[in-house]
Amino acid sequence: MTKEKFDRGTALTIFKSDRMEDMAALVLSLAIAFLVYVFIG
Amino acid sequence: MIYTQKTPWTLIIGIIMAGYAYLVQSGAMEPLIKFLHTGKHTGEMVGMGYAFGAVAIVIGLWQVAMKPKEGHGDYYLSTVAGVMFIMIIAFVVKWGLDPLMAVWGKAAAPTLGFDFFHVMNLNYVVMGIIAGIITVNVFKIPRWAENGVRLSRLGLKTGVILLGTLYSLAELANLGRLSVVLIGFFVLGSVGMVLWMGARRKIPNSMGGVLSAGMGVCGVSASVAAAPVVQAKSTEIAYTIGTILLWGVLMMFIFPIVGKALGMGYIQFGAWAGTGILNSAQVAGAALAFQPNGIETLKVAEIFNITRVLFLPIIVLWLAVWYVKREQTGVKVNLGQVIFAKFPVFVLGFILMFALSSTGIFAPPQHYKGKYFDNSDKVLVKTDAEGKVDSKLLKDQQVATLKSEIDKIQSEQQKAALARLIDNKKIMSIDDDAVLRGVVNAKILSKESNGILKAAHSAVYHTAKMIGTFRTFITWFFTFGLVGLGMQITMASIKQAGGHPLVIGSVVGATKAIGSLIVIMLFVRETI
Repeated sequence: MTKEKFDRGTALTIFKSDRMEDMAALVLSLAIAFLVYVFIG
Repeated sequence: MIYTQKTPWTLIIGIIMAGYAYLVQSGAMEPLIKFLHTGKHTGEMVGMGYAFGAVAIVIGLWQVAMKPKEGHGDYYLSTVAGVMFIMIIAFVVKWGLDPLMAVWGKAAAPTLGFDFFHVMNLNYVVMGIIAGIITVNVFKIPRWAENGVRLSRLGLKTGVILLGTLYSLAELANLGRLSVVLIGFFVLGSVGMVLWMGARRKIPNSMGGVLSAGMGVCGVSASVAAAPVVQAKSTEIAYTIGTILLWGVLMMFIFPIVGKALGMGYIQFGAWAGTGILNSAQVAGAALAFQPNGIETLKVAEIFNITRVLFLPIIVLWLAVWYVKREQTGVKVNLGQVIFAKFPVFVLGFILMFALSSTGIFAPPQHYKGKYFDNSDKVLVKTDAEGKVDSKLLKDQQVATLKSEIDKIQSEQQKAALARLIDNKKIMSIDDDAVLRGVVNAKILSKESNGILKAAHSAVYHTAKMIGTFRTFITWFFTFGLVGLGMQITMASIKQAGGHPLVIGSVVGATKAIGSLIVIMLFVRETI
């Protein structure tokens, strides 16, 4: 895969920046933690 | 630019996934499930098979029937095909290759003298990366899947954040002072040494960063956790994991030989193995090889191993700051501002989950990876709605069996622990539990009595449901991320990385093993 194949993000990520990717991971994790806490706890 | 490719494959993958879930649900896969011992995963197979299958079928139909328009919808929905491509490989790895290796490892153990599945750590982590590497180098990634493969790093980061839920501060406080000091010194020393050697040998900061976490902390999971912090390339992560596992296998065989030659005590050897060997399974293997008929060495090695793992948050923070500083060399900038701008937010997520887990909202705060000791009667004796009592206390018959065999035990400590179990019909403390596990391990008592002791252990050791669920999520995010990561490793990139990681890893590993041996021989006696 080369960078030129994508006009957004990089060859490694679909996000514009690492911080965006980090934020997406954080939001996803918090959502999972909340759902686990509510439904399993 | 339009990202969605017209392909029937997303639909086909969806049908395969849903079909597999149906076959598992109908019982048609029962012989295979029995052979692979994957019965405990059937719920997961059915649930995930249907869920992912349904999404793939819907998106697959849309891809075949509709003409995509340029925009956010096309961009994000185009990733689904690649995600499903990775997931179907992840299913094969997690439900097929991983348990198959476990079965083969056990079957070959009597001939080889060791279980290669545990020794070589051939679980889903390694199998996932290998599956990804084979896919990209033998079959190539199809164009319709390329955009989805770019989500693998998001999977890894999410897995790392959730990894924080497995540890707690209280567990760290329970550990012996010596283990914290010794491990702290060698973990921080190893990380520092790898970074220093990496700079001298001019390897990239990303390679040095990921290797330092792997060599310093706990091998594979530390490498995966540190990789996005230092923006490591896929090849660098694979190299680090390979170096750690090869080194660990070698040490697992060498440590017991050296330990016996030097006449080390159980505590000394346990402390040395827990400090010098990197992978948890390999630490346990070395401890059991040193003391096959007891559990004292294993217990000490586990304490040191846990201490090492609990240093992970500190190392991740250190590497985050180190990497930001290293990448800004030559430019005069305000360090505080740079750290604020560049510091990886997902590391804070990991710390946040670690903090939440330490408060006890997911499991009792003293838990470690979700497991905790509780022998209170409200846990052991339960009454259902109809008033029927379900007790996990020992039955009179079981007490009588243990009483009749207590004289077979020579050790006063083991005898006392068993006597307390007989008197109270339950294991009375974590220490008693460890001592009784030693009795089981040494096979002093009959099969029936050992069964009773194992049941007594299961009654007081619990796994928190929420942490169990988090573990499942973590495992799947890692499997997804690692298969995708493997798909970014081409043969050309492996050649480019060269042999530096192996050299640095070996020098640091040997230094740590010898250094910790000297310190332990000088300062550690038979107490912690």
